[in-house]
Amino acid sequence: MLSHLFKLIWNKKRHHTLLMVEIWVSFLVLFGVMSLISYNFKNYVEPIGFEYENVWALDLNKNQDTTAIADKLHIILQKIRSYPEVEAASRMSSNSPFSFNTSNGSINYKKTSVHGDYYDADDAFIHTLGIKPILGTWFSQSDVVAKFKPVVINQQAKEGLFGEINPIGKIIGDNQKVVGVIGNFKAKGEFSDNRPCIFNLIDDKYIFNKVLIKVKPGTDANFEAKLTKEIASVAKEWTTEVSYLTDQRQNQHNLALVPVIVFLIITVFLLVNVAMGLFGILNLNIAKRREEIGVRRAMGATAGNIKIQFVGEMWVIATFGVLIGILFAVQFPLLNVFNIEASIYWMAIGLSIVVLYGIVTLCAYHPSRQAANIQPAMALHEQ
Amino acid sequence: MIKLSNIEKVYQTSNIETLALNNINIDIKKGEFVSIMGPSGCGKSTLLNIMGLLDEPSNGTIAIDNKPVEKFTDKDLAYLRNQKIGFIFQSFHLINDLSILDNVEIPLLYRTSTNKSRREAAKEALEKVGLSNRMKHFPNQLSGGQKQRVAIARAIVGNPEIILADEPTGNLDSAMGNEILNILLQLNAAGSTIVMVTHDENMAKKTHRLIRLFDGTQVS
Ligand SMILES: Nc1ncnc2c1ncn2[C@@H]1O[C@H](COP(=O)(O)OP(=O)(O)OP(=O)(O)O)[C@@H](O)[C@H]1O
Ligand SMILES: [Mg+2]
Repeated sequence: MLSHLFKLIWNKKRHHTLLMVEIWVSFLVLFGVMSLISYNFKNYVEPIGFEYENVWALDLNKNQDTTAIADKLHIILQKIRSYPEVEAASRMSSNSPFSFNTSNGSINYKKTSVHGDYYDADDAFIHTLGIKPILGTWFSQSDVVAKFKPVVINQQAKEGLFGEINPIGKIIGDNQKVVGVIGNFKAKGEFSDNRPCIFNLIDDKYIFNKVLIKVKPGTDANFEAKLTKEIASVAKEWTTEVSYLTDQRQNQHNLALVPVIVFLIITVFLLVNVAMGLFGILNLNIAKRREEIGVRRAMGATAGNIKIQFVGEMWVIATFGVLIGILFAVQFPLLNVFNIEASIYWMAIGLSIVVLYGIVTLCAYHPSRQAANIQPAMALHEQ
Repeated sequence: MIKLSNIEKVYQTSNIETLALNNINIDIKKGEFVSIMGPSGCGKSTLLNIMGLLDEPSNGTIAIDNKPVEKFTDKDLAYLRNQKIGFIFQSFHLINDLSILDNVEIPLLYRTSTNKSRREAAKEALEKVGLSNRMKHFPNQLSGGQKQRVAIARAIVGNPEIILADEPTGNLDSAMGNEILNILLQLNAAGSTIVMVTHDENMAKKTHRLIRLFDGTQVS
């Protein structure tokens, strides 16, 4: 039966080319959107690796002020830490979690190198963000020994540079001594990829303009106002801005999800069009092929045989379109396009096949059932 | 083999009611060659369709091998059409998108059979009708007589016991028509039961029995 269907489609291939091209294009668009969704989904299931609830990011803008900056910063940090509402406060580089700033480059150990994010942070950082080292400890000023600067790397950097070797005490880059390893650190939110990163210790001379503050649950805008006023009293020319990490996280999510949603809407629109086209072609086909249906019924086809034939023909047509589509799609994992894990592309190919055959079956089912219900004598009479 | 009792067929279209068959009683015995004659529109095709289980009568009963078919499901009927009956239509009804060979294979598609056995049986049937040199052609590349012979090959490919032929020679010249009749006579001699609708008295004379219809009623 299958070879019969192939023959039937093959003999009418000119007639079906447009449909095959439509299915081929749909497959590719579907593959695109499925890759995007799989990519985001795969990222999403990886935990971000830190706690952001009740954490505020304080931006200190010094404007034109150049006098005694370090002293003022020192006083401000002391004051922040002295409030009962504050559980922990930590200085860091401006690329704080969920911010739109980035700083990255290579991280090297002997001949191996990985590309990752650079962060500067102080010893209180893990308390502010609820991070627990999985190897060694978080750094502190006491780790500054001789010419070595203590650093902490994350699991991804450890795997990239050291594999199974214990990295604690190893010297990487220029005189950076690994004192600890943390798990994931996905600073741009759940939908960002799980990248390697390295933390450098901030010393007391470091001019920072970002403070992360972990406040007690229930702390509100009143405290925020009190805080900004206090800072203004120390440094009159400065401006301070407080953002909540929960809000910033939402912004990052929107940034990741909006393109997915737009692409998804376009794809759905395209697929609805293809589905309607399929439906129309099938209805037309069945009207034109009543004679054939009558003949087959007269020769012993059951209603079920007719239904399977028409659905099967659509599957065969879809298979031609999908096969050409797969030929294109497999280039992405094989050529490692966009540096995305191959498994994501394979998953997208699989999902696209399932969705496409699902649509084809859905569209073919109803007209095919109608075809099966045509009475053989009626079908033959009209000729 | 086929027994029709008190068959009545009414076609109901929007506001006209056509009585296409009225009180038909026919018993066709195994091995018979029966012809049906009558003016156009008298219900010959309708009768043949009912015998071939392609249509249901409005009243009356049909029995195949003494089994009444009223309670048969769609599957049972399809099985009977497939195994027992070979249909030759007035207007060939070949599928234009399939080669001659593929057309002839169709009845076997609805049986359990292998590609190879189907192929072989179809070739054999085409040989019987003298068309083995046209297997790869498509229906629109054949003459009317050739098409009719393909239709015969398709009807006999599954070795059915009964062949129902609706004016198999209607569209052909007399030489071609006689050739077709000879094929049917040979099949009958080999054991097939045949019911043939015809307009040709001479052809009817060569069969065992003649049934005449007039306006849906059996007149002889
Ligand atoms: N599907 C149908 N719907 C309505 N009327 C029909 C239908 N099929 C046949 N008829 C009517 O039934 C009558 C018998 O038709 P049928 O086709 O059996 O005639 P016939 O004897 O085969 O004619 P011909 O020699 O021209 O082939 C005709 O009056 C025809 O119009
Ligand atoms: Mg007729």
